[in-house]
Amino acid sequence: MTATGLAIIAGKEFSDHLRSRRFHLLFGILVVIAAVGMITGVVQYTKDLSDYNSLQMLAESEDDPALAGNLAGLKPSILSAYSQMGMLIGGIGVVLGIAMGFDLMTREKESKSLKSLLAYPIFRDEVINGKALGGVGAIALAMGVVLVFSLAVVTILGIVPNLGELVRILIFGAVSFLLVFTFFALALLMSAVSKDSGNALLHSLIVMIVLTSFIPIFAYPPVYSAVFGDPPTPPGTSAYSYQQSSSIYTVTTTKVGVQASGGVIDPEELKEYERASREYMTQRQTITDIVTLVSPTGNYQTILSAASQPAGDSAPGPGNLLGALAYNIIALLAMPAAFFGLAWVRFMREDIR
Amino acid sequence: MILCDHLTKAYNGVPAVDDLCLEIPAGEVFGLLGPNGAGKSTTILMLVGLIQPTSGACYIGGIEVAAHPIEVKKKIGYMPEDVGFYADRTAKENLDYAARFYGLSERERKQRVGDLLGLVGLDGVGTTVGGYSKGMRQRLGLARALINDPAVVVLDEPTANLDPRGVLDYRRIVKDLAGRGTTVLVSSHILSEVSKVCTSVGILANGRLIASGDRETLSRAATQDRVVIGVDTTAPMPRFTNPEILSAEFSQDSCSARIVARKDISDLIAETLYSEGILPRRLAIEKSDMEDILLSYYAEETV
Repeated sequence: MTATGLAIIAGKEFSDHLRSRRFHLLFGILVVIAAVGMITGVVQYTKDLSDYNSLQMLAESEDDPALAGNLAGLKPSILSAYSQMGMLIGGIGVVLGIAMGFDLMTREKESKSLKSLLAYPIFRDEVINGKALGGVGAIALAMGVVLVFSLAVVTILGIVPNLGELVRILIFGAVSFLLVFTFFALALLMSAVSKDSGNALLHSLIVMIVLTSFIPIFAYPPVYSAVFGDPPTPPGTSAYSYQQSSSIYTVTTTKVGVQASGGVIDPEELKEYERASREYMTQRQTITDIVTLVSPTGNYQTILSAASQPAGDSAPGPGNLLGALAYNIIALLAMPAAFFGLAWVRFMREDIR
Repeated sequence: MILCDHLTKAYNGVPAVDDLCLEIPAGEVFGLLGPNGAGKSTTILMLVGLIQPTSGACYIGGIEVAAHPIEVKKKIGYMPEDVGFYADRTAKENLDYAARFYGLSERERKQRVGDLLGLVGLDGVGTTVGGYSKGMRQRLGLARALINDPAVVVLDEPTANLDPRGVLDYRRIVKDLAGRGTTVLVSSHILSEVSKVCTSVGILANGRLIASGDRETLSRAATQDRVVIGVDTTAPMPRFTNPEILSAEFSQDSCSARIVARKDISDLIAETLYSEGILPRRLAIEKSDMEDILLSYYAEETV
């Protein structure tokens, strides 16, 4: 590989992306969405902070150390605004990634410029590496602009993030970039294997739907129960059972140990039930983890929600945070690497006639 | 300058180019002829380093293409049959992009691009290539093939979409290149075009080189055991019967005939016409044109 050929192709691709109307449109939508998400998030953050301050004043005035202790880990973070923006960016970022990559190779085939390009004094891998590098540069620029824009909005609204929050914001920016890059690499792969741009786009959308919507279905409780079976039933008849849901928590309370007739349940049966329940929950957690790891949007949301946890003394530092999210981060890095690797191999083996 | 040494390329075990041995000296304008599927494009793709041979090797200026593709590509200018460009860029931008790969400085690129656009008659055209006609693209393709001032130029069907003026320009450019010592390899179906610009010709059929040499050599070889006699008469002529005649084609009114014989039997034809009281308007040995030569080789190959 020669650095010159790679740089020339990457430069042209970068310039092509920046000149493309498709990029302008999606980037514009991305910025608007970021602005809306940021402003909504900052408004919510300001309200949460005001509520938190009121509660803290109450705890101090009533000299209630228990309440003060509980509040310590619940201080709202500006990252909650980024969480809100991230949810919106997740959707449009996926589309941006696909839109930037689906015709990278097919366009060369359709315009019949591939033969001429390969006849220049360059190695074949420089073509695909250069195209990927140009795309990565454009994505990085887009995400960088969104990040700087979001920080500008936060600062204009009078919020100055501290160092810990800045690190988390950077983590947010990095994983947002990785999410877009994942779908860019997927589209590049489809562009390498397809004969024309239409098919490449169609195949990219199908795989995107599988990764973002179909696979995560298996983590939903009703689907999980239908596929892997219901949770074990408590021994005897429950005296009562109810499920209460709020927007944040789901609380299930089941009173067991007493039969309807009032007789006591055999402790061995209860023990067996507890063992089966633990086994069921462990299996369910494993399946959920696998589903999350396989789905780029699942990984993105997991990292996003962890990075936007409330600030406070109990909040993990950046090192601990990255350690806890290691599998998700590795999965988010591995998937685009795998897509790009497959695209690379396919293009290198492509029969030019 | 160009050497193919037992060059073979097979797709799924079927040879597209089969044991091709060919040598083209420097400064030669070589025409590669053959019907569809003869292996012309596959040979060219191996020569410009786009595909690897299954066995054998090809060399450009003594450098093996498969082993040193970058060095070879620097010496070559290539215009594919289905020439393509970036439609959203101008001719100047397309050529400038191509020139960057050869390490030309900005000043050199500007100079070279301007010269080449003038050479192919596209100077002053400021629109993007998306609006170009096929002929204009072909002209631009020729300019791009010359961007690196190559020692070897490979042109695949270079006149397929050109108008008469474009064809004249193309011939002039190829002759200029040959005059400057550039080796030119032209693959074409347009036989008359090849005969006008090429100093020597190779004929491919079924992936094999069935004949090569300059036009006279090929013509002699193709006609060494046959003579084509053209006859025009004022009245319908009779069907000639002679064991030396291989084939005879008559016009609808039987006043013209094209007779292929093993040897010159024009005296016998004249005697027959005289005995029948028919006045000949023309009785002559015809020189084989490129098409005759080619068809005679194809006929031999398919026997």
